[in-house]
Amino acid sequence: MRIETIRAAGDRPSHIRHDDLISTKGVSVVMGRQLVLQNIDLSVPKGSFVSLIGPSGCGKSTLLKVLAGLVQPSQGSVSIAGLAPAEATRKRMIGLVFQDANLLPWKNAVDNASMLLGIADRSLSRSQLRARGQEMLELVGLGDSAHKRPNELSGGMRQRVAIARALALDPAVLLMDEPFGALDAITRDSMGQSLLEIWQRTGKTIVLVTHSIDEAIHLSRHVHVLGIKPGRITESLDIALPYPRDLSVTEDPEFVRLVVQLRTMLRSSHQPGGTS
Amino acid sequence: MSEQPITHLSEPRLVSGWSAATGSWLPAVILLLVTIVVWEAAVRIFAISSFVVPAPSEIAQSLVAQWGTLMQATLVTAGEILFGFLVSVVVGIAIALVIVRFDWLGRALYPLVVLFQNVPKVALAPIFILWFGYGLAPKIGLILVIAFFPVTLSMLAGMQSVDRSLLSLMNSVGASPTQILFRIRVPHSLPNLMAGTKIAATLSVIGAIVGEFAGASDGLGYVIQFASTQLDTVLVFAALLLVSVLGIAFYYAAEILERIVVPWAPKFSQA
Repeated sequence: MRIETIRAAGDRPSHIRHDDLISTKGVSVVMGRQLVLQNIDLSVPKGSFVSLIGPSGCGKSTLLKVLAGLVQPSQGSVSIAGLAPAEATRKRMIGLVFQDANLLPWKNAVDNASMLLGIADRSLSRSQLRARGQEMLELVGLGDSAHKRPNELSGGMRQRVAIARALALDPAVLLMDEPFGALDAITRDSMGQSLLEIWQRTGKTIVLVTHSIDEAIHLSRHVHVLGIKPGRITESLDIALPYPRDLSVTEDPEFVRLVVQLRTMLRSSHQPGGTS
Repeated sequence: MSEQPITHLSEPRLVSGWSAATGSWLPAVILLLVTIVVWEAAVRIFAISSFVVPAPSEIAQSLVAQWGTLMQATLVTAGEILFGFLVSVVVGIAIALVIVRFDWLGRALYPLVVLFQNVPKVALAPIFILWFGYGLAPKIGLILVIAFFPVTLSMLAGMQSVDRSLLSLMNSVGASPTQILFRIRVPHSLPNLMAGTKIAATLSVIGAIVGEFAGASDGLGYVIQFASTQLDTVLVFAALLLVSVLGIAFYYAAEILERIVVPWAPKFSQA
């Protein structure tokens, strides 16, 4: 059985460093009789943009849920800035964005954006919530759509509201599970670009689960490849392309080289492992 | 930005409200008129006795002649329907909330509710008369047992179809079960609930008439039964017509309520 060591920064071993916001040690998840995740050592430096990529069924969404405290690991430990995920959740350190925006159809954009904040902090008044919601909508480029209901917004705009809703909590980390997976290619590109700008403006730490090789390389600083049966981190890749990046980065020879490299890694991650 | 806001999502055809309404109503109105004319002609040509099938003109005459009595009966029945309907909706919602909020109670209650749904409730009418007398109470009771079920069932379906990832979001900010219930599940269930409410409105009319058949001294059901014992088929048809009008009125009242309560819900009706 191969011992996986993850080199988040590429140049240092995987022991927990003080500037890691998220770190997991030996996390395994068993569901029913299946080993969904095996021995995950992941470290996410504070302020970085990390992508998790892998074939369907590799457990990358489960790993995100473990980080969010929504799934309890069967083994191993998870720390978010030194806290257990449940504790970090209580302190509003985690913002979640899923593939489906899951907006409430009976609320307009600004009330949707402040909905979770209102539940997390009951001391805030309606007008304080509205102000915060409006501020976040402006951050995601929807400042003038505050009073629109979700059925008046396009898929990309709905997902922007979902991002605003997560950011309204002012979380330390944004955990995103294929947030652009249901969008068309053009919208997807512009959403990715917006996310990069938001990341650089806010300095949040972002962990993104994605299927898209281009998206992972375009956006992130570190990419971790997960393999199947059992779900485990098979390889890690640092993306040395300089920020700020825009879509022209996709024409960079280094980008193309990284795409080829990541595709090769992904191909081997499709082989069931556990022995080698 | 490549994204454009979507407007008119609920209006696939860009026609004005009035022409859309007449456009969809007109065929039904024409068919109704043709039916009445054919009916009238058939009764006259074949000289059918009004004791068997009265002509529309005779029904209209009866309506006018007995207007006072019939209106009095209509008001009584309408009151029963309205009261019974409101009680059914309130009780139906309460049962659904209890089932969702208190898991163990729900597991105890839900199978019994479904079991009870299979009891032929019309057969309960004589028992209700026995228990509650000839007044309003047995009618309300009968409407309740007939009409609460679609309310409960539709609301349950709505509350239980909340997306799992939305629940994850709520849990990620430490929302309590009560917060999830009232902030998410209940509003989410409203479109379903309103659909169930429309069914309950129709069933309430049936409940009231059955209740009056079983024992009453007033109301349209009483008029129908009394007139048929007198072999006054014309009056039976006149009362039937008014029952139908009541049914349609309650159905559309529920539909108007739906548009007010859930303006965000997709509209499937043609009108």
